[in-house]
Amino acid sequence: MKEVLHAALGRVPYRSVWALQRRLAQLRRGGHIPDVLLSLEHEPVITVGRQGGAGHVLAPPEVLDRLKVEVVEVERGGDVTYHGPGQLILYPILDLRDHGRDLRRYVASLEEVMIRTAARFGVEAHRRPGFPGIWQGLKKLGSVGVYVRGWVTMHGLALNVDLSPNLFSLIVPCGLHGVEAASLAELAGQPIPLEEARATALEEFARVFCVQLTPLGREALDRWGA
Amino acid sequence: MDITVPLLGDVEQVTLVRWLKRAGEEVQAGEAVAEVEADKAVFVIEAPAAGRLAEALVPEGGRVRPGEAIGRLEEA
Repeated sequence: MKEVLHAALGRVPYRSVWALQRRLAQLRRGGHIPDVLLSLEHEPVITVGRQGGAGHVLAPPEVLDRLKVEVVEVERGGDVTYHGPGQLILYPILDLRDHGRDLRRYVASLEEVMIRTAARFGVEAHRRPGFPGIWQGLKKLGSVGVYVRGWVTMHGLALNVDLSPNLFSLIVPCGLHGVEAASLAELAGQPIPLEEARATALEEFARVFCVQLTPLGREALDRWGA
Repeated sequence: MDITVPLLGDVEQVTLVRWLKRAGEEVQAGEAVAEVEADKAVFVIEAPAAGRLAEALVPEGGRVRPGEAIGRLEEA
């Protein structure tokens, strides 16, 4: 079974993890490191992907300043999204040549990880053809946004576990009007600790990708200059 | 020499979201020249050789199939 090194980063600011991902992806492309998976939560941030319009950020700059929510333009696919506490983030740095060399299958696998994780908390979620991510009706529970260079991936998935506060009202999620962001906890009707969702999502990631996750410490990341 | 979108698996069409080089610009082998997107996944198209981007065949926002050319490269 293939091995993926997993680093749990806790709650971290967007820009520092973004820089870390770029460094790891560069090392992975050069064949200097194996596949890596980062799991984390972000401090509140709005990111705008390649298909994004600034018009999809609804809140005026002074409101964002007051809430300390930064807006960052990023290279991933997709439109506008929000990340913050209570949302589980997985950023796989994988060489897709070792995982089927198929962009669509990769996105579908990330969705599958979220669908299976939701199911284990009693929440039925599904795909919506033409609208990547996972859904229950028009409620969006999880998003996918990926960047691939030299077949090595960056960015990944964001699963709304238990959002408080839910700052999705600051934006038009995915640039789609009428979409409401919901969380697993809301749909399960009970609080869900992020740590529990994280452990479950990691198990499902290992199953869906047929890999074994091996813990990776901060010292290894430091050694790689990452 | 053509700059083509590689076969990306079960992907029928992609959107060219951004040219990173303009027609007439020099490029190094392996340098990123454009980004295409399918299903919320951006894939970077790299120059197959060093040279000059002679022509962009697909505009930003244009649709293209994997295997098709998006531009022409005049080799150095």
